Amino acid sequence: MAAQLPDMTTTLAPGAAPPLPSLVSARHLRTQRVARAVRLWVPAAILVALFFICFIWPYVYTIPSGTVGDILAAQEPPFSPGHWLGTDPVGVDVFAMLVYGGQVAFEVGFAVTAIGMVIGGLIGLAAGYFGGWTDTVLSRIIDVLIAFPALVLALAVAEVLQPSELHLIWALSVFSVPAFARVTRGSTLVVRQLPFIQASRLSGTRSWRIILRHVLPNVIPGIISFSLIGVGIVVILEGALDFLGLGIQQPKPSWGGMIARGQTVLTATPEYVLIPSIVLLIFVMALNLLGDALRERWGVR
Amino acid sequence: MSTETVAEEKRPLLSVRDLVQEFVVREGGGTRAGVVQAVSSVSFDIMPGETLGIVGETGSGKSTLARAILQSPRPKSGTVSFRGSELTRLRGRQLLAARQHMQFVFQDPFGSLDPKWKVRSIIEEPLIAYSAGDRQARRKRVDELLDLVGLDPARYANRHPRELSGGQAQRIAIARAVALNPDLLICDEAVSSLDVLIQAQVLNLFEKLRRELGLSYLFIAHDLALVKQVSDRVGVMYLGKFCEVGPGESVYKQPLHPYTRALLDSIPSTEPGAGRATTTLRGEPPSPVNPPSGCRFRTRCPRAADRCAQEVPEPRELFPGHLVACHFPLTEAAEPAKVSAPVQTTANS
Amino acid sequence: MSDALLEVEDLRVAFAVGGREVRAVDGVSYRIEPGRTLAIIGESGSGKTVGCRAIMGLLPTGTIISGSARLRGSELIGLSDAQLRKHRGSDLAMVFQDPARSLNPTMRIGSQITEAIRTHRKMSKSQARDEAVELLRLVRIPAPDRRFHEYPHQLSGGMRQRVMIAIALACRPKLLIADEATTALDVTTQAQIMELMLELQAELGMSLVFISHDLGLAASYADEVVVMYAGKIVEQAPAKKLFGTGGTVRMRYTRALLDAIPHIERAAHTELPVVTGRPPDPTDMPPGCSFAPRCAHAADDCLAKAPALAEHSPGHSWACWHPCENGVAQ
Repeated sequence: MAAQLPDMTTTLAPGAAPPLPSLVSARHLRTQRVARAVRLWVPAAILVALFFICFIWPYVYTIPSGTVGDILAAQEPPFSPGHWLGTDPVGVDVFAMLVYGGQVAFEVGFAVTAIGMVIGGLIGLAAGYFGGWTDTVLSRIIDVLIAFPALVLALAVAEVLQPSELHLIWALSVFSVPAFARVTRGSTLVVRQLPFIQASRLSGTRSWRIILRHVLPNVIPGIISFSLIGVGIVVILEGALDFLGLGIQQPKPSWGGMIARGQTVLTATPEYVLIPSIVLLIFVMALNLLGDALRERWGVR
Repeated sequence: MSTETVAEEKRPLLSVRDLVQEFVVREGGGTRAGVVQAVSSVSFDIMPGETLGIVGETGSGKSTLARAILQSPRPKSGTVSFRGSELTRLRGRQLLAARQHMQFVFQDPFGSLDPKWKVRSIIEEPLIAYSAGDRQARRKRVDELLDLVGLDPARYANRHPRELSGGQAQRIAIARAVALNPDLLICDEAVSSLDVLIQAQVLNLFEKLRRELGLSYLFIAHDLALVKQVSDRVGVMYLGKFCEVGPGESVYKQPLHPYTRALLDSIPSTEPGAGRATTTLRGEPPSPVNPPSGCRFRTRCPRAADRCAQEVPEPRELFPGHLVACHFPLTEAAEPAKVSAPVQTTANS
Repeated sequence: MSDALLEVEDLRVAFAVGGREVRAVDGVSYRIEPGRTLAIIGESGSGKTVGCRAIMGLLPTGTIISGSARLRGSELIGLSDAQLRKHRGSDLAMVFQDPARSLNPTMRIGSQITEAIRTHRKMSKSQARDEAVELLRLVRIPAPDRRFHEYPHQLSGGMRQRVMIAIALACRPKLLIADEATTALDVTTQAQIMELMLELQAELGMSLVFISHDLGLAASYADEVVVMYAGKIVEQAPAKKLFGTGGTVRMRYTRALLDAIPHIERAAHTELPVVTGRPPDPTDMPPGCSFAPRCAHAADDCLAKAPALAEHSPGHSWACWHPCENGVAQ
């Protein structure tokens, strides 16, 4: 509801106070509202666009292979016909590699986060709500998992199992589960102290029902905005592992792999590193900004 | 009014004897720094239909007392007898069943309502927990309760707490509290965070419920005038103990304990001709971890003498129903003599 | 007409929240004479705190302030933060509600006082330290040399508030504003702090403004009372005119407040006169008197046009089309 400018034409009775002019310009108010909407919808739109490009576009419009290249079309620069982002030194289309690498990024990012949310969330809820021995035991388990150095574990996984997307998801879940457990436990501890939880207990409600209907709905907004940032972190970790050759193996495309291959020709043709790096940056930034905007919307502290 | 009906039912609704509640004070790092006895051997009764007001300042233990009566958390020692059942000995289902008739209204009206729930679900919760009727019966009851607290069910039942004002939120909390037809309502600073005009509305609601439902109240507040207005009897607490208990008129017109006197003197009044509020207390409240020996109030009392440090004063009934725990009570309505030397003479010692 | 210490004229404060305009203060004017005590009374949302913070320059950027507030002739509204800093402390000082939050928990209280002193006066460390101990003595804190080295959490609420007052007095301001300074304190501590502030006022020749929701405080301690509702002043009079024997309250809102406060003299279980509804939404103020929707005596003219605050009786102003007669509700 915009502030109304006073109607100066109304006649005033004697002794009445005149209506006061608006102090805050309507423009200022509009700007505030627009800024809030922009902060939420622009990152959301970027993510939807990226999702569309990675998952929907290849079914609508055939794109070249991301693994097999046409050696005759090697090292084409961007904006060449048929390869609008160019091709790499072996002839593989860069845009196709981005698309398929993006699929991996989305899949790994959201799968690892989902596993973390469900398993880690349950652990955190139990530890936070019941306290006592339950909390002590679960917290120690979480501490052990957090203490694991990320790359050592990834190395071990790559050593023992064939590195693949699925194994990558398992390996990274070892980190997302305790991270979510910690965050959920913290949130649960805060919510548990709130008066309405005690009011619920005094009303006679059983513990499991309190957790499900009272604690969980109040903890979830914080978890969701944390999870968006979590996806970003997982995607970067996945990129790092691919870069080191411990994740998605060549020639299957991945953003980290593209960066790894591109660094050998960095000075001559920087676009092989720049393009995937920029896309990765946009993806993670959109996730973070959306997480922040949701946090602002939902009033999570 | 309520005193006539008491004659029919002489047994107290709530009977508290020698209630003690402690908690451990920890330093920043978690090390034990001491034990605070927030409630020290408190005893009192509430008769059916009666409102007992408890007034006290910070650290008096009045809120801790309320929680200890509810067994949440359990008191360290003492007995709480409610409708004949001994609450301190009950567990689990039995405690829930016994506590059904004792409900609680919190200080923070919004804090006691789940922000994600609708008003209807909030009021319905105790009905579901105690399996009081099927869905239709519950729905009817919720509408009844909303009407009872003065809110139109059509307009308010589907709202969320954030769409309510402070006064409306407290009414919802009250509707929830009386959903199961309790006998006793414990109100812990239930109107302290409301604006004055809204506070008056909610107080009137308490009165209405008292008349229509025959509720008894344990009304806890730090505002003396407020407590006097809603209560039949008033108890004054200081550092975990009762200084003085008695009928409201008696305690306020003829305070026997120097602390009660000091509290009354410090209330700024809008009555024409009232003097400026003054303070007759000396010094600061003592540390609850290490309360003074003997009478806990002696370090700030203008009438303190040697005996006060050596002997804990026991409650004595100086007027009908009016007890005081003091070695040198104020037995005249006049100003206490400001003496620093021991006072030897009192009427009944 | 004596020279007023502070003259506020048509002060207005508005800010934008979530895309809507909030009129927190809607044309407020009053004067404070040197050495006098003014009480600004109102419930939450009345604009009592925002108005004083506007004068002190403590509102966030983006707030629109218009009107004038002249401290001994020099205009305070519209000054930059640097210019206001010269006035803060030496001319104007403020004490807030929650001493636990206003004091830095990681600094000793002595350092917090010396910091305030040395911001405004050129002094060596040891001179400032002596001055700080003197200030602690001035606010009647026992053993001030020992307390100097203590941290805020080692003090009780009343003591912390005294420290806040000491910091505020570091440069002997001419005007002290106490914003709900005793609301969070026990009633006995409140009496001690109010007595202290009045004693200091006499000793230092200060003017005192205290902001509160408690009419009793105004009756007990103030010379002049201003009652605010929905951003406007609705009644203004010397305290004796409102509360003394033969006192007359005119504006319906003030009357409603008085009737709603619990009084010790009232019998138990009396039904209080009820005012329905709640304060108006600051983003959507009704035309006409802002109290009219809730007033039992509202008539058509009340809802149509807002009454202006006018001095209908010497020294006593009110804004009401149908005020109370003889201070008693009809």
